Amino acid sequence: MTLEARYFDGRTTRLSTVDLSLADDHLVVAGDGIALRIPFAEVTVDEKLGRAARRLRFAGGAFCEVSDLAALDTLLASAGHRDGLVDRLQRHMNVALPAAAICIALAAATWRWGLPWLATIAAHHMPPAIAKTLTDQTLRVLDRGQVLLPSKLTEDRQADITARYRALRLPEGGTPAGKLLFRESPVLGANAFTLPDGTVILLDGLVTGLGDDGEILAVLSHELGHAQERHGLQLLLRSSAVGAFWTLYLGDVSQLLAAAPTVLMHAHYSRELEQQADDFGAALLEANGMAPSLLADALEKLATLHHGPAETSAYLASHPSTPDRIASLRSR
Amino acid sequence: MDEVLGALRPAPYTEEPVRFTGHGGDYFRIWIVNLLLTIVTLGIYSPWAKVRRLQYFYRHTELAGSSFDFHGKPLRILIGRAIALAMVLVYNIAVRMQSVWTLVVIAVIALIAPWLLRNSLRFRLYNTSWRGTRFHFRGSVGGAYRVFLLNGVLTVITLYLLAPFAHQRLKAWQHNNSFFGKTPFSFRAGVGDFYLTYLLVFLGVAMFTTVAVTGGLNGILAPLMKQGGVLNPKAFFVSLATLWAALILIGLSIGSIFYAALTNLIWNNTGLGEHQIDCQISWPRMVWIAFSNFVLVVVTLGFFTPWAMVRLYRFQAESFTLLRTSDLTEFVDAEPEAVGALGEEAASAFDFDIAL
Repeated sequence: MTLEARYFDGRTTRLSTVDLSLADDHLVVAGDGIALRIPFAEVTVDEKLGRAARRLRFAGGAFCEVSDLAALDTLLASAGHRDGLVDRLQRHMNVALPAAAICIALAAATWRWGLPWLATIAAHHMPPAIAKTLTDQTLRVLDRGQVLLPSKLTEDRQADITARYRALRLPEGGTPAGKLLFRESPVLGANAFTLPDGTVILLDGLVTGLGDDGEILAVLSHELGHAQERHGLQLLLRSSAVGAFWTLYLGDVSQLLAAAPTVLMHAHYSRELEQQADDFGAALLEANGMAPSLLADALEKLATLHHGPAETSAYLASHPSTPDRIASLRSR
Repeated sequence: MDEVLGALRPAPYTEEPVRFTGHGGDYFRIWIVNLLLTIVTLGIYSPWAKVRRLQYFYRHTELAGSSFDFHGKPLRILIGRAIALAMVLVYNIAVRMQSVWTLVVIAVIALIAPWLLRNSLRFRLYNTSWRGTRFHFRGSVGGAYRVFLLNGVLTVITLYLLAPFAHQRLKAWQHNNSFFGKTPFSFRAGVGDFYLTYLLVFLGVAMFTTVAVTGGLNGILAPLMKQGGVLNPKAFFVSLATLWAALILIGLSIGSIFYAALTNLIWNNTGLGEHQIDCQISWPRMVWIAFSNFVLVVVTLGFFTPWAMVRLYRFQAESFTLLRTSDLTEFVDAEPEAVGALGEEAASAFDFDIAL
């Protein structure tokens, strides 16, 4: 059989139309004043990429270009040539679709286990200076944006809560090191949250809503759990990693994704992180001679305080399955 | 009819359009297999993926019935990437340290960057061929220091007023030192042409942004202000999402318009020997393709990427026409060169963009 090809000498752009055929393990190139007999073992066959013309390369830079890919396959097969494994794999949809499925599975596994694992390690090795900078920036954005307003609690009340907070003995020894800040927030209502460096923000709504100091301390113990495990930093690191990935992937525009304060404000702690904080809080309360059920009482009260529209109750939205947690705390 | 048109033209050019014959579905199969191999080898396979990507696009790009080809060797690219990665690491550590070493490392990188960029151009052109004849870049190292370092510093200290000047000098240096085989490319656009194009793009963007900000932004943000101090979280997020989408659209539009205007200017003023190049990238279509590609890539979690790449590349490649004066058989290849991949890989690692 013969096969039409375009021959180039590798030194000029002159095009010669030739016929290719096989004879005794040799590739015969003939036509347009060209007559070559090349041992097939010395011919380099390019990969088949889509529908592009395929090239057969000879020593010295000369090559033939073949557009009839099916006929070339027949010629190559009769010459005993076998395409490389990856070359064959990248031609078929029944390889491409499982490959896509495996990519999705790997990405999901990285998201589910790899990223949290790396974020935990990184959060515990983060220099305190960086955590402090992040905290200062976030607090400034929230204060300037009027999301947080100055607290309306009396100074005595603030000093009282701060003193009791400071007096908490941590299970591993020592007292809480991070700051406790008081703020009022119409947007966030009865709430408390932890910033990356362990600073705890206590909102007026939560203090007046709970009333009972024991329950307030229970919520603060829970927040100390988040601080201790550096949950805020972990979430920030995870979303930065995802943001960095999308930035690399999509180019410069998605740098707009980098909005740390928004991420922190609307961070949804996973069930595991909440469980960790609850466990820490309960242990802390016990270590200080208080009942872990105080945290359950606090959660119950907050649930009734937040019976308004679901999306306005940020504290509950970020704390999934409250009844389960209450039950688990009561059974201790 | 052809004779009449031929007589009207200033030179007897024959139009030879660039054609792209690739398909998203075909490229998807290649892309996904190489992506998976890259993931499971923790990135070590990526040079092989890169070579296949370039070969796929080059080999489906046809001029006068013959396609282009890419000849880079994956192993050299891997070595280039390893060195580039080491440089990025050193750079990042140095930046963190905040000491004298930070300045030393930044100065060293600034000093070797022009050399790397020149090598990057050499690598890319040398490994590109058409009909078996390779392209070459012969810009000197001294020229690289002038166009990258000296003009770069001048641009920054004049608060970017000299940016069009620096851009023109860069393209003139780049194209006047490029060859196909032994045939030189030439560049005609002057500094004035660059200032005019920059000015037009800048005015267009300024007008568009003013309209968008006064009209659109008010519409988006007004509902927020009318809440009487109480922020409705739902309205807040709707506004934030709209604002975000608008910013992406504006960002992509500016990038696309700038790209289209400058690419047309640069290539319409580039010649190859006696032949001329015609480039007609339509900016509204460029904006549409960039934006729709972005949206589709995001909603398909990245799986539209191969189709997006093929679509964008086809549009860009098919905007080019070679105005030829011969049957294109006269080109002769020059002597082979030894060209390493470090420049290209380091340049891409540090995100130096010389694509325009």
